[in-house]
Amino acid sequence: MTGSPPAPDHFDLVPDALLAGRAADGDTVAFEALARRHGPLMRASARRLTGSLADADDVVQESLVQAWKQLDTLRDGDAVKSWLLRITASRSIDQVRRRKNHSDLSDLDQRLAAGSGLAGGGAAGAGNPEAAALSGSRMEALKAAVAALPEEQRRCWVLKQFNDQSYEEIAQTLNISVASVRGRLARARVALAREMEGWR
Amino acid sequence: MSASGDNFECGHSLEELSIYLDTGEFSDPGHLTECPECQSGLAALRRLAALGDELVSADIAAAGSGTDDWMQSILDNLRLELRPGRDIPVRPDTPGDILTETEGSISALIRSAADSLPGTAAGKCRLDGDVSTPGSPITVRVDVAVVFGHPLEERADALRRGIAATLARHTELNIAAIDVTVADVLEPGFPGPAAGPARPSESSEEKP
Repeated sequence: MTGSPPAPDHFDLVPDALLAGRAADGDTVAFEALARRHGPLMRASARRLTGSLADADDVVQESLVQAWKQLDTLRDGDAVKSWLLRITASRSIDQVRRRKNHSDLSDLDQRLAAGSGLAGGGAAGAGNPEAAALSGSRMEALKAAVAALPEEQRRCWVLKQFNDQSYEEIAQTLNISVASVRGRLARARVALAREMEGWR
Repeated sequence: MSASGDNFECGHSLEELSIYLDTGEFSDPGHLTECPECQSGLAALRRLAALGDELVSADIAAAGSGTDDWMQSILDNLRLELRPGRDIPVRPDTPGDILTETEGSISALIRSAADSLPGTAAGKCRLDGDVSTPGSPITVRVDVAVVFGHPLEERADALRRGIAATLARHTELNIAAIDVTVADVLEPGFPGPAAGPARPSESSEEKP
């Protein structure tokens, strides 16, 4: 009596807020549409934060379970993307704290490249091999520089760059002061900018 | 860009510039337009921000699409619990039996009535009133998005009729009012259910 479920691409152009409202009412199809829409960014962020492909997928899964349970507490449906990313960030940090050995991001990029056949810079101009090669190696240089950052600086930078968090949100996620966030983010940027100086 | 990384000769620092880029706050905004050191520092930070955006795009591409197998297997593992909401009594055929339907199933009915209209999708849906007492007046509130170009009032009227007909057929609720809010106007291109599997729509001519 509930009618046939909409086709999977039915919701492609429906805004987040509407899907969040439906999902909060218990519409699993709308929730899955949100998960498919924001899942890739959640996964990308979790990979940079945990440094592990397997941990990142666990984090995405746990985050979606938590999101489904707590969706009715989300007041502003338009904010569902940043809310999902906030959950992903907290769970990624928890995941790393639970783990004994620290993340090794240079390793992550090797495994990523091995798994996907992409040596980074996949978005680079396809019609221009030289530009693509340059852009590809520039991305590799940035990945290496990000991986070489002290953990706390890297977290601040990823939370800003990937999760688009404010200083206050980063402070909350990492349980540190806003002043520490400012300092670490700036130091991360100084280090990265210096590393990337030669890649202009 | 300064080699020291801490303070420039002008006394300002990359940390200040980094905060300025995020918040627009700077103790001496006029200085930024005059100081070559600060300008080259800002330029370096802006180049880094652009590279960072490029890395995010590359990482998202490497993560794969939301329609790929990895996401499907995560979704398969979720086993989302249902949200039944309140129990709504239904008059039994055999006296003594107790029959109920759930608020969640009524919301789903209302959503499918909205989704069955071309270029229309339902959002949040509420049943205001004491649904657990048979006969109490209930107000339905539903948000919808409608594709740009559809006459909104006509659409809202058709939707009200469709919801009234659906609820009259499948429930015993005493519907006092149906409030339709057009919460969003969608870009044309929204496929609408017409593009999905064919489904008989609730006739918009039907009177409640």
